Amino acid sequence: MALTGTAVHAQRVTIAIDGPLTASAEYLAGQRDKPAVLILHGFLQTNEFPSVRQLTKHLSDAGYTVLAPTLSLGIANRKLSLPCEAIHTHSMSDSIREIDLWLGWLKKRQTPIVLVGHSFGTIHLLAYLETHPDPAIRKLVGISLVEGSLHNVDDAQRERLLQELRRLAAQPRPTLVKRAISFCKQYQSTPQGLLSYMEWTPDRVIGSIDKIRLPMAFIMGSGDDRFGPGWLPRLKATSARVHVIAGANHFMDGQHEFDMLDRLLEELKGANGPGT
Amino acid sequence: MDRAHKKLPKVSYLSIAYNVLIGLLLLLFALYNWWEIDKTSQALYERETMLAKREALEAVTTVTKRIQTIEKVLAEWDETRQQLMYRQYYPIWRDQRVRNAGLLPETIDDIALYDRSGRILAPGHSKNVMPNSLPLRTGGTLYVNEGGHIRLLSFFPIYTESGGSQLLGYGGLVFDLADELRADRQYRYIDLATMRIQLPSGTVVDRDKLAQSLSFGLMPNPSLDKMRSVFQLAFIQITAVFLLIQLASAWLLHRFFTRPLRELAEEINSLRDLDNEEKNFCRIEPLPIRELEELRHSFYEYHSRLLDLNQNLERSSQNFYDQARRDPMTGIFNRRAYDEDWHSLDASNKIEQCSLILFDCDHFKAINDTYGHHVGDSVIKSLASILQGTLRGEDRLYRLGGDEFATVLARSDADNAEAIAARCLEQVLNHDFRQYGVIEPVTISIGIAHGSPGVPLSELQKQADIAMYAAKRPTSRKIEVFGERLNEVSPLLTNKSISAIYQTIQDPFLMEMHYQPVIDLQTREPAYVEALTRINIDGEIIRPNEIFPVVQARRVDAEFDQAVIQAVQRDLEFGRIPEHLGVSVNVSAVGLLSSKVTDMLVYLKLAYPEVKIVVEITETALIDQIEKATLHIHKLREAGCLVALDDFGSGYSSLRYLASMPVDLVKFDISMMRLLEKGDVRQKEVIREVARMVTNAGYKMVAEGIETHAMLEQVVALGFDYAQGYLFEPAQNAA
Repeated sequence: MALTGTAVHAQRVTIAIDGPLTASAEYLAGQRDKPAVLILHGFLQTNEFPSVRQLTKHLSDAGYTVLAPTLSLGIANRKLSLPCEAIHTHSMSDSIREIDLWLGWLKKRQTPIVLVGHSFGTIHLLAYLETHPDPAIRKLVGISLVEGSLHNVDDAQRERLLQELRRLAAQPRPTLVKRAISFCKQYQSTPQGLLSYMEWTPDRVIGSIDKIRLPMAFIMGSGDDRFGPGWLPRLKATSARVHVIAGANHFMDGQHEFDMLDRLLEELKGANGPGT
Repeated sequence: MDRAHKKLPKVSYLSIAYNVLIGLLLLLFALYNWWEIDKTSQALYERETMLAKREALEAVTTVTKRIQTIEKVLAEWDETRQQLMYRQYYPIWRDQRVRNAGLLPETIDDIALYDRSGRILAPGHSKNVMPNSLPLRTGGTLYVNEGGHIRLLSFFPIYTESGGSQLLGYGGLVFDLADELRADRQYRYIDLATMRIQLPSGTVVDRDKLAQSLSFGLMPNPSLDKMRSVFQLAFIQITAVFLLIQLASAWLLHRFFTRPLRELAEEINSLRDLDNEEKNFCRIEPLPIRELEELRHSFYEYHSRLLDLNQNLERSSQNFYDQARRDPMTGIFNRRAYDEDWHSLDASNKIEQCSLILFDCDHFKAINDTYGHHVGDSVIKSLASILQGTLRGEDRLYRLGGDEFATVLARSDADNAEAIAARCLEQVLNHDFRQYGVIEPVTISIGIAHGSPGVPLSELQKQADIAMYAAKRPTSRKIEVFGERLNEVSPLLTNKSISAIYQTIQDPFLMEMHYQPVIDLQTREPAYVEALTRINIDGEIIRPNEIFPVVQARRVDAEFDQAVIQAVQRDLEFGRIPEHLGVSVNVSAVGLLSSKVTDMLVYLKLAYPEVKIVVEITETALIDQIEKATLHIHKLREAGCLVALDDFGSGYSSLRYLASMPVDLVKFDISMMRLLEKGDVRQKEVIREVARMVTNAGYKMVAEGIETHAMLEQVVALGFDYAQGYLFEPAQNAA
């Protein structure tokens, strides 16, 4: 694990994942009396994604210690968002392991910790929290949480697809498959990789929220087109607090960025309490 | 001169030389410009070669940078590093993903990834040329010759992150250099099809020096070739045009200038051979150039004027020549014509066939002085007319001066000349000169000389002169033909004699005076002596009848009279003349009119007052100024001299003079005395009456030529006071 200074307040952190595979994150030390915040980017993105970048900056400006890792997705020191057409060999479990490594690294420096996820990054965090309950983690704030649905694919079709993926993944030398997932129309991946992401259906997301015993809050935009019209009511039906910013889209850009930030800071104020 | 020789050559050597020179200059100009075009083309080719090298360097550099950029992008691409760690799907990445990602241009033929040990992640297809193991561990470029194509295999390291030191593996690219170069740009100078690399296959290439290892041909440059062709064609056309212009100029120059000028020059030359009357143009066709034709007209006009002027000059010259050769008063030829004709005859050796006749009017000066110049001129004109009319048509009559005429009879012998001379004399004697107021008979003396072999021109003239002087002698028949006899009896008339006469006039002491006594018939004693002139030349005596024709002919009468007076004075001084006797001096009519002569006589009388000085006036008929003569006679008589009228009764004296001039003595001519002896009764009676008349007029009479006692008795009977002659005493030398 290495720590590389990139600015006065920002540091580039690289950690070894597996052999030559390394991953990097941006670390900004903040006030000790405030919880550290781990911000995780969306699907195939990096910590340089604008929405993540803005969150990192504003939270650091607000005095929070921020760690914004970039998931390697099987690529050492990945710097750019990975195109849909790339050969995707990574899976949800790979991401959970990296999240765990980053939280371990962060806990060595500051606790408590609040997890902040953007888009599919929140699902990564939910998946982690399902299997890694940690008292240092005080809260999960999801921003623009996606529902995990597939476009024009109903549940039955999705189930058949999952079964097919499971069959392919069981082969000794599985071939790459191309399917639509999230915003990718031709996502090229190993069957097991695709399967690991495609298993996170809306029901499983809602179920995970309900299942995980941790304060959660979701900041959503009423103008977000990445989920269906039934998603917000389903979220609001959970134990988590849901903030809906009127008119904000999936990326919370423009003036909605400040509304989102206000909601986030509001949620972070209450996250510095003793762990559960 | 033959006109053919004057004809100018058709083409002059200068013209040929000029055209050859122009041709050589044109050839040099052509060679020089051809060389310039070649040099310019070569310079353009060299410049294109240089630009091609620069283009190649720039292109290779660009390719190198582009390959480097591709390598860098690939090395830093996340998915490249992904393959080095998870090679399970490497073939898909190599064959599809990397190309679909748009990172590799189509010119990259193949790509391969190698692990850190240099093994290829997965072998490629058979068409791939990438080696299974990395040939260059440190990266670099390898050249492989593949079927003549320049294939470059470029290898580069890949690290875990950009600028990192943890090696993940290697990447390799293979591409065709020509395709890569062609993909970059359009080439202006390089012909990529001809590009070659001067390295063996398998050689590691330094990409920075790759351009230096390349060789290539130049792209065809149609513009350059076209320009060269255009230049050469233009040059050939210009040269041809120059040549045509030169030929046309030469033809035009020859046609419109040289030939017309030559023809004009030939015409001008030919005009020299034309007669003056031939003034017309030699050619009918006008010259092609208007200015030349005007010049030709002007020249002909000028030539015509010159001809007219020349004719006028010739006429004037002929007139002047004729006038110079003509005697203005008589119209016959003058002395100049005489001399020229003689020289012509002398030059043509025709003198020996010619006869020279000299005519001289006797006593012309006396006629001239007596009747005036107007009458004298009329006499001369009449003589000229008579003589010219009498001569043959082809015979020329010359007036040599004064009253002297001459003619040259070509192809004539002496007899023929004498006959012509006799006819001339007869015509003169038959002419009535009284129409001009001349009472006395006008006669001419004629001397003839005939050319003979060896006799020069000057000698012939002298012979005629001698003959003419001989003819003037009183005893002559007025025509004398020069011959041996005449030459013997007329020694005086040689040049030597004439010279002696002149010398005597200059030096009177050379004169040898003879004195003949004049007898007083009452006392039968000498009353005085008459001075008679002789000239002694080397012992030879020249007598008066030979002296006076020369004196009269040479118009030296007064001068000779002065010499005589000086000679008499010399003899008086030397006592050669008895002082008790007087002396008579003959004075010519010219001398009497001369104040100098009369003054000398007065002086002589004053010098010798005791000596009787008698002045005998001869040729009184020639005295044309009676008043002046009378005045001088008075002057002489006042000085104490006696004046005698000589030759009374001859043609030179007349009763008019006797009545007009106050003389003391009248000296009857010897011809009258002879009539007393030999004449008939009537002649004797006339003489007796004349003597009585003279005596009654108060003059004393002197009879000369008394040779016999019978004559003496008759003159005594007639009342003569004095007498002289051989009967008493011949003339004696004073010395």
